[in-house]
Amino acid sequence: MGRILRLELKRVLKSGRSWALLAAALLLTLLMAGLPVMYCYSSVDEQGQPASLTGLASIACEKTRQAAAAGTASPERVKAAAALYRACLERYGVSQSYDLPEGVYEREILPIAPLLHGVKEAFADPDTGIAPSLMEIAPEKIDGFYAACEARLASLMEMEGNGDAAKAQALSMYGRVEKPFEVYPGFSTAAMDFQNMAGFLVLLICACIAAPVFSAGYQSGDDDILRCTRYGRGQLGAARVIAVLLVSGCTAALCGAAYLLLSNSIFGWGGTKTSIQMAYSVVTLADWNLGQLQWAFVLAGVLSVLATASLALLVSACCRSTAVSLGAALAFCLAPTVAFMALPEPLSLWLCSLLPSSGVCIQTSFLYAVTDFNFLQLGPLAVWTPYAMAGVCLVEIPLFSALAVRSYCRHKAK
Amino acid sequence: MELQIDSVSMYFGGKKALSNVSLTLTPGVWSLLGANGAGKTTLMRIIAGILPPSTGRVAYNGVGIGELGGQYRAVFGYLPQEFGFDPAFTAEEYLCYLAALKGVPEKLARQRMAALFEELSLTEVRQKRIKKLSGGMKRRVGIAGALLGDPEVLVLDEPTSGLDPGERVRLRNLLARFAEGRIVLISTHIVPDVEFIASRHALIKKGKLLAVGTTEELVRQAEGLVWRCRIPAGAVPDYERQYQIAGLQHEGDGTVSLRCLGERPSEGAEPVPPTLEDLCLLLFPKEGGRDL
Repeated sequence: MGRILRLELKRVLKSGRSWALLAAALLLTLLMAGLPVMYCYSSVDEQGQPASLTGLASIACEKTRQAAAAGTASPERVKAAAALYRACLERYGVSQSYDLPEGVYEREILPIAPLLHGVKEAFADPDTGIAPSLMEIAPEKIDGFYAACEARLASLMEMEGNGDAAKAQALSMYGRVEKPFEVYPGFSTAAMDFQNMAGFLVLLICACIAAPVFSAGYQSGDDDILRCTRYGRGQLGAARVIAVLLVSGCTAALCGAAYLLLSNSIFGWGGTKTSIQMAYSVVTLADWNLGQLQWAFVLAGVLSVLATASLALLVSACCRSTAVSLGAALAFCLAPTVAFMALPEPLSLWLCSLLPSSGVCIQTSFLYAVTDFNFLQLGPLAVWTPYAMAGVCLVEIPLFSALAVRSYCRHKAK
Repeated sequence: MELQIDSVSMYFGGKKALSNVSLTLTPGVWSLLGANGAGKTTLMRIIAGILPPSTGRVAYNGVGIGELGGQYRAVFGYLPQEFGFDPAFTAEEYLCYLAALKGVPEKLARQRMAALFEELSLTEVRQKRIKKLSGGMKRRVGIAGALLGDPEVLVLDEPTSGLDPGERVRLRNLLARFAEGRIVLISTHIVPDVEFIASRHALIKKGKLLAVGTTEELVRQAEGLVWRCRIPAGAVPDYERQYQIAGLQHEGDGTVSLRCLGERPSEGAEPVPPTLEDLCLLLFPKEGGRDL
């Protein structure tokens, strides 16, 4: 088996098509990691003077200007930041920051903005979910910022119609989140979105590598010879599946690592220590910082790519034509996005959690699931969707792989 | 050692491709002769275990090939009519890959590959990608692959297609030597390729086995049905309309010598000893010519 696997790996990696696809995966990943820089813009320089900074200069400027906000988001610091905000708006006689004269927000509010993240959300109306303006929140209420966050989560779960099990689980998870939160300027949630895009592109590429593995042999007649050999059925089928999973898994892991290396080098590794609650919703359930979220997303991406490749292999083992197997594999890659856009809940939620490509799909992915509050609910059971995504992939990988080998062994020639 | 094909029938949809074929193959070279669409390739694919028969079974030494599974495939070599391969492979890589699948130890595989490359005149192109080789060379790579496992049962579907006359002769000789103590089954359109090396022939028509026997046994059926006559060149079209012509040769004096099949074409016609090709032409008249 070892010899067959070695030769199979050599066969896959020797093909010019494979190399072109793998090189494309790495290049697209690096491109995605670099793209968010293009959207960075600052209208003031480090001294607060009007300027037009873009790219790396803008990132450096913003980090410098927000440096004082870095650290623990204790209620006292949040309250102090809110007081500065309030004083600034009162000074200019406005009630919303977007009514401030040009350049004032950048000069006075931006340096404290990271600490104010989530304050309005924490004090949202429990019945309507509408967030008040910071001016409407009494300063003394901010002393109970973290209690308000927990209350906000409870009302949110109620509003979204979750069952008791989901509510209890959400509150229990949120109770385990380390508080007070940490905030370190320099992170970019846009970079997380681009990580999602890079993961999706790698997913498509790995599906393209996996889809012809069996069907190309059926189509060319190559398979007729191979399946007449001593180890040409079960062992060859298993070797092909393992080889593709190794190549796909390594590609996804390497591209994920390359993305984080480049992206964090650009935006700064310091920002990765920020609690995800200070970058996304303040009631996000996971007890992670952004760095942990990035790596968890890479891991979820690898699992999703492996599950999708397994499904593509199963499709390949069942199809006589490469074009059909490739088309079907790509359709499976896009299926969660289509389900998300076209189907009603809870059907779309279930499909977006159970389909193998959900982990890194567009609009529905592990990243968006972590920063959302959805649970798959079945009777008394409630499973947080990121757990469901990862768990389902762990089941799908061996299941689809075994079915692919079985289908290959049972393939009937025409 | 014997390979029994027992009452094998094969249907594709409603179409019957093979009808109750029974045949026992013993060591030696066997040829499978028949017109296009006669069912030769279907029968070979069933013997190879690629296609399960609709009814009947194929057994090796009394045990069904399905039950034997890997044990049967370990002693089996096969070259299909269409030789498919991974375009990334060189000839050498392809054989290395096949050797692993056939369970041939690496060292032994290297020795066999060297010998086969030499025998099949592939040594100089062993490092070339198969897709860049000529049709004949590709075919020879396929033959090397079929022989690589030193099989007890070798099935070659049209092995000579694409080979030049010299290559065909070398292949015939190689197969004749190889068949010692082994079962070799060859299907071909080119009757002379098997006429002299096959110890027995199986003639198949429209999915039915018409006859099985040695060349001598089979050609006996055509005795008294093969004639030679000399006629004016201008009379050839009339003869072609009335008789089946197996051969025509201009004599240079305005006459031609004809080899006619069937009833005696004229008083002057002389009976000549029939060949296997004559018999095939008599059995499969619509196909005409040397290629069945």
